Amino acid sequence: MQEYLLSLLIFTPLLAAVIALFIPSTFIQAFRFLAMMATLIQVVFIWQLVTAYEPSASLQFVEQKSWITLDLGAWGTLQAQYFLGIDGLNITFVCLTVAIMIIATISSWRITKNVKGYFILVLILNAAIVGTFSALDFLLFYLFFEFMLLPMFFLIGIWGGPRREYASIKFFLYTLLGSILILIVLIGLYISVLDPEHSPKVVHTFNMLHMTHPENFISGSIFDPENPWMIGTINARAWAFLLLFIGFAIKLPMVPLHTWLPDAHVEAPTPVSVILAALLLKIGGYGLMRIAFPIFPEAALTFSWLVGLLGVVSIIYGALNAMASKDLKRLIAYSSVSHMGFVLLGLASLTTEGVTGAIYQMFSHGIIAALLFLIAGVLSDRTHDRMIDHYSGLATRMPSYFAIVLIGFFASMGLPGFSGFIAEILVFLGAFKSNTTNGLIHESLAVISTLGLILGAGYYLWAIQRMFFGPLHLKGEATIEQLVPLSYREYLMLIPLCFAAFFFGIYPQMILNWINPFTEGFVNIVVETGKRLTPNL
Amino acid sequence: MEKKLFDALVFLTLLAPLVSFFTLCCLPRNYIKIILSASIFLMLISTLSALVLLFNFWNGAIIPIHLNWFSIGTNSFTADLALSNRSLVMLALVAFISLLVHVFSIGYMGGDRDLKRYFAMLGFFTFCMQGIVLSDNLLLLFMFWELVGFSSYLLIGHRTIRPEAGRAAKKAFLLNRIGDAGFMVGLMMIWAIYETFSLTQILSTSTVHPWQTAASLCIFCGVIGKSAQFPLFTWLPDAMEGPTPVSALIHAATMVAAGVYLLVRLFHIFTEDALLVVAVTGMITTLIGAMAALSQHDIKKILAYSTISQLGLMVLAIGMGILDAALLHLFTHAFFKACLFLSAGLVTHSLHKAQKGQQHFDVQDIRNMGGLRKKMPTAFIAFLLSGASLAGIPFFSGFLSKEAILIALYMHNNILSWLMLVVIVSVSFLTVLYTFRMIWFIFFGEGRVIKPLKIEEPSWIMRLPVLILAFCSLWFLVSRNPFDFKGWMLTNENHHSDLLWITFISILWIVAAVLVSWYAFRKNPFKTHHILRKSFYIDEGLTAFFGTVTRISSRTTAFIDRSWIDKTIHGLVYAQVVVAHFTGWIDHVFVDGTVNGVARLAGLGGKITRSFQGGNIQLYIFWALFAIIIFIIWTLN
Repeated sequence: MQEYLLSLLIFTPLLAAVIALFIPSTFIQAFRFLAMMATLIQVVFIWQLVTAYEPSASLQFVEQKSWITLDLGAWGTLQAQYFLGIDGLNITFVCLTVAIMIIATISSWRITKNVKGYFILVLILNAAIVGTFSALDFLLFYLFFEFMLLPMFFLIGIWGGPRREYASIKFFLYTLLGSILILIVLIGLYISVLDPEHSPKVVHTFNMLHMTHPENFISGSIFDPENPWMIGTINARAWAFLLLFIGFAIKLPMVPLHTWLPDAHVEAPTPVSVILAALLLKIGGYGLMRIAFPIFPEAALTFSWLVGLLGVVSIIYGALNAMASKDLKRLIAYSSVSHMGFVLLGLASLTTEGVTGAIYQMFSHGIIAALLFLIAGVLSDRTHDRMIDHYSGLATRMPSYFAIVLIGFFASMGLPGFSGFIAEILVFLGAFKSNTTNGLIHESLAVISTLGLILGAGYYLWAIQRMFFGPLHLKGEATIEQLVPLSYREYLMLIPLCFAAFFFGIYPQMILNWINPFTEGFVNIVVETGKRLTPNL
Repeated sequence: MEKKLFDALVFLTLLAPLVSFFTLCCLPRNYIKIILSASIFLMLISTLSALVLLFNFWNGAIIPIHLNWFSIGTNSFTADLALSNRSLVMLALVAFISLLVHVFSIGYMGGDRDLKRYFAMLGFFTFCMQGIVLSDNLLLLFMFWELVGFSSYLLIGHRTIRPEAGRAAKKAFLLNRIGDAGFMVGLMMIWAIYETFSLTQILSTSTVHPWQTAASLCIFCGVIGKSAQFPLFTWLPDAMEGPTPVSALIHAATMVAAGVYLLVRLFHIFTEDALLVVAVTGMITTLIGAMAALSQHDIKKILAYSTISQLGLMVLAIGMGILDAALLHLFTHAFFKACLFLSAGLVTHSLHKAQKGQQHFDVQDIRNMGGLRKKMPTAFIAFLLSGASLAGIPFFSGFLSKEAILIALYMHNNILSWLMLVVIVSVSFLTVLYTFRMIWFIFFGEGRVIKPLKIEEPSWIMRLPVLILAFCSLWFLVSRNPFDFKGWMLTNENHHSDLLWITFISILWIVAAVLVSWYAFRKNPFKTHHILRKSFYIDEGLTAFFGTVTRISSRTTAFIDRSWIDKTIHGLVYAQVVVAHFTGWIDHVFVDGTVNGVARLAGLGGKITRSFQGGNIQLYIFWALFAIIIFIIWTLN
């Protein structure tokens, strides 16, 4: 069974979704337990995966089956594989996915509208996310990537708030645009890359690992590093990098491609927000690290200043927008934009510290963002009102909620002792060191981005001051009686997340053991191959 | 064996307060007795082990404790703990004052509904403070550094019901964060220069890197925030919103002194230029603090500005390279300032109790007080002793530590040190003035507003810690000879007996200041200019500046989001819809038109050809003949 763990992880929720199809929609409780069962089974699998995983740079739990093989005669052979594997980069995200899915399922317990459809979509989403994180064949990756879009569209569009149609269509269009850009590169890569295992036969492959080796590119093909063909002032490979960058940056999201996020979050129901913030955003960063940077390293080196700059812009712009937000959920959504900026900054530095920090930031943000959206959910479940100005003095009425909000907010603003701090400090160290080690991004980027720390403290503390301090007083529709203490179900979601944010801030070594071998290899390969290929650019 | 004992004691000192925090977090909030006894007991353990450490390992060879934290690539981040004579003193100081404040709080905070959170945070604060003292790794130190800020935030904002508490707590944390952002940049530079955060390694490097001045100044930014230096000091007076014992522990004795401790710890990486900035910052701070203290009416605000002034003095001394004397002043200041705050707490606590049901007035305004000497003898004695120490009167600890700084400055003998000497001398004059202004106002003369009230002294559990601290403000904690600061701490310094004239002059100067204050403040409240009272409007200026900048820029970004980015997206979508309509029209008119046209054409052709086949034999013969004729014509050609 060991060798099929990844497939089992992907297909368990799919199977559950199929079973759910045959259960009459009146058995509401059945769907909840079915979804819960599926995620718990995934936990068993992930447990086996983690215990059997050995930290090293090599891929593990590899499943490589031929999936589509088409002989096209003179055009060679099309070959797409069912190719899954785990290394230091995606093991953290696969674990995160399973953990967050449990939380999201518990959080979905209160969904009452069309429960059957809801849970089927969540299960499909679950499978697609795990698939995206573990696929190593570009076509398979793209398939899973697109597969996430549909359930998410319906989850926001049907179970969302008052402006759900607008938000879901905006989300759909933005992400679709990104997908199309990625698709263009996908086709180009397919035309350019040969499977070396079958040479001299001409077998076009979607294998991502083959794509990272410049010698696998057909001489004279569009993405061949030797190809002198220019579009504008840069060559096709540089364009491909930019297309991938935009495609994944939309998902991340990066300023100025971020405006789908606040709307989607504000309208989405709490569990969907949790999945969106904790998992879907990570796919943007993951795609950059798995596809854009290793496949086009010389373009990555050339444009790292742009990546870093846009990262800093995201950090500060997101923080400022969070400060201007009146809705608690919108504030948290913008804080996500700000925090994902650190991922770009760390990645752009291409130093060990920076890249480790970027991965750690994604992991840590997965935990903390989930916590924050649940915190916002606690309030909107009770009063259906998330306007910050409508509350005052909540600390006296809900002391334990206050404690959890303090943990969540301070963890998010990067207080030492929480996972965000480790991530941010590593990003800062890497970004600052980059200029002296590899000369990619300037020190001033790191210095300017510390503004994000101050602004982060600013908007969170201002929100705490307005909502929790002072005499108890509510504005708007809400009444004080609605503000009941936290239920056990809510504790069950919030406490483990608080604990996780704390644990990974105190003891980062556990995750770093996984990440370290990957980062070292990643940085070396991207920088070395990139420097070798740069003269061709 | 000794090493093991040493390690155990260090961990006991450090972790007992943390255990207190976690225990209290797990206890239900209404188990008040258990909460109180658990936290006092654990603090007692911490204090005892710190004292044992101090007595057994003073001047001993101390081996650092190595702990691995995490590693990235080839770089490892350690969590080393190291101890020196300085940190031994700090450990004992923090633990001892924290213990006294814990005991005092039992009485002072009695009946508070968030008692659990209060004591838990006190424990957490003590843990973090001891962490700052112990860490031998700059990153670890920074962690504790920020965490004391966090506990300070929660303790300032302890009375959540008061909106001012929220505002003050936010301000304290934000201004600290501004300083810490600078500190963070300093950390980046240190990492780029040394590739390590281990303080032992950093401090043993002798080469000077071109970035070193910048790096040390960035770290100094953190000190400016935490130790309330110009221009970020404005959070400290506001932090007086917190309960008085918290002000005594955090905002007078320990946390704000952490910056001074850090400066001493990192002194070796500071370059000449950086030290000049440090000294000038300290000078400005100490002057502003003393002048502002003279013009306040709120007893806690006076003490807060006094703390700012004294911290400025220490920072100034460090900027001039006077480390040991600055630390000695930190040590003595911790006792007498904590004592001043706690006795102020005694006074306000009693007044607050007496005020209940009577007329309402501000219990912290010294203009309302008077004549408390007889009604509250304990508070009077404690305030007098610690006030005398603050003023620098002989036979008190403050006299000795100030003397140490003055003489060290005099020994420097250059223009800058003479300027600093003048500043310190004038500040010490102002210090005497505002200290005795408080004493005259609170304890002497006639009771003003409070005259009709029946005032009782608080219970012994509050009075005892105050008396202990007052006792510690006497000279013997520093040295046996009340006129010789070279006691057990300053073993390296030489005391020049030929400089006794400095001591003599400074005594005369202080006596003169006491007399001046007697004539100036005994009767009438001192009318001061509003510029002084508002400490030169630095607070208002800072708030207005940062507030306006962030407000405008956040509104701008929100506007950009809504109007530019979203409008562009909407525009694109509309454009797409328009294009779709256009292509739809093309479909309808041209494509469908063509298809229909072709169909119609085909129909027409059919109609024509159908007309050939009428079933009429004559017509067939005609067409056959016609075809034959055509054929013949074609073959003939």
